[in-house]
Amino acid sequence: MPSTLSRPAPERAVAPGAPPRSAVSISGADKVFTLSRGRTLQALDAVDLQITEGEFVAIIGPSGCGKSTVLRLAAGLDTPTNGTVEIFGAAPRTLAAQHRLGVAFQEHALLPWASVRENIALPYRVAGRRVDDARVDELIELVGLGGFEKARPKQLSGGMRQRVSIARALVLSPDLLLLDEPFGALDAVTRRKMNAELARIWAEERITTILVTHDVDEALILADRVVVMSGRPGHVRTVVDVDFPRPRGPETTRSPEFHALVDRLTALLDAPEPM
Amino acid sequence: MITGARTTTRIAYAAAGALLLVVGAQLIGQFELAGKAWPPLTDVLAYVATPSGSSLIQRNLLVTLGAAGQGFVIGSAVALLGATAALLVPILRPGLDRFAAILNAVPTIALAPLLITTAGREGTPAVIAALSVGFVMFVATTSGFAATSAPQQDLLTVFGASRRRRLALLELPRSVPAFVDGLTLAAPAAILGATIGEWFGAPQGIGLLLVSAMQNYQMALLWAAALAATLASLVAYLLLVQMQRVAVRRFS
Repeated sequence: MPSTLSRPAPERAVAPGAPPRSAVSISGADKVFTLSRGRTLQALDAVDLQITEGEFVAIIGPSGCGKSTVLRLAAGLDTPTNGTVEIFGAAPRTLAAQHRLGVAFQEHALLPWASVRENIALPYRVAGRRVDDARVDELIELVGLGGFEKARPKQLSGGMRQRVSIARALVLSPDLLLLDEPFGALDAVTRRKMNAELARIWAEERITTILVTHDVDEALILADRVVVMSGRPGHVRTVVDVDFPRPRGPETTRSPEFHALVDRLTALLDAPEPM
Repeated sequence: MITGARTTTRIAYAAAGALLLVVGAQLIGQFELAGKAWPPLTDVLAYVATPSGSSLIQRNLLVTLGAAGQGFVIGSAVALLGATAALLVPILRPGLDRFAAILNAVPTIALAPLLITTAGREGTPAVIAALSVGFVMFVATTSGFAATSAPQQDLLTVFGASRRRRLALLELPRSVPAFVDGLTLAAPAAILGATIGEWFGAPQGIGLLLVSAMQNYQMALLWAAALAATLASLVAYLLLVQMQRVAVRRFS
């Protein structure tokens, strides 16, 4: 796949010396869903998460631990029952309304009537801006879909659809990128390939990113910090700093340190919590 | 090829059914099994083949199709506007749903005197066609708008879509297959509506032919007029079914 990106590194990369700006601040967030007949389900219990600008944070945890709910809070698709969520010092909806949010969900939600090119250009049309054809072309190349511009989603493989969805999330150069299991439906080989692609894209654009995944390797390949969540109700169990040098190629993932960290985090996912 | 064989079988069944119907109608007429009011099909066709018969049917069919077409366009447009209003202003939704249902429940025959005094004898066929079309299209369009998925709606929310852009970029394109699906039902309803509308004293049209042929006991003309209206409905339906296939392929 082509690895050139003519775009210069964005200005928003933190200037040396300046204090890093807070990008995402979730404080004491509870989320209680009301079920039928007055029963309730507590999905989140006092979740705290602080992310500074330019940081890549992965959230891992078992199914049903509320990690997707955290992402939906950050996206402004849900509001916390208690606690606060601030994105760049404002309500999450503000960021969305200013078209500064990029999101790729496990359900890619591509528009079936639109071509690859039209799907990637969708955020421009949603924002009412003129489509920047050069930027769309650049992203098509970046995610390796050159030659498929006119294809429609149903003509693409699962991996290609996910790449369209990621290109669409990136097209407006968002200030915050939210990825919810974007590679969940892919086979292991394609998944690692996409991890490497995403790491390369992120290295070039340095967008503040939250990645929700249940794949420990994926989290360690991509993130600066890994947040481990436990379920019912969902809460933050541990936060681990990941300081392997980038890019994290096979020499990193095959190192004993990497394996040790994978084992430690996997154990945290499995083991019951000490009371 | 299994699918090929199945298609052939299906066509054979359809052809056999149609043939049975035609032969049956012919025999019932031939032997006067249903009395003199049921002429043999050959008599009806012989009437249509005469220059005066064919020009009479043709002239009046064109008038009916004109009224049906008008009603089809007006009914579809009003239904689209109504469904859009119900989508954009949720408070209007229950009221519009009930209004459409009530309008559909009122028998045409009860509306006719009212329409003749307001829309006039010439305008009534198009109005009744529009009423028949409007309800079907309102229901079809509303269900089309509701067919968007939650992830698609979330997507437009996180990209910061305004209500207008959500409609233009997601809900309208998503509703196209359901809308065209509605049109396949609305087209025959329009022709039927226009024909009924012409019963109430329209100066021309298939409906008028039916009434006057019945009163003057011109059975060949009566059957020829009914046959013409039926064939027109069938053709409109088949054309729109083709269009619907294209729409489904293009939009899903």
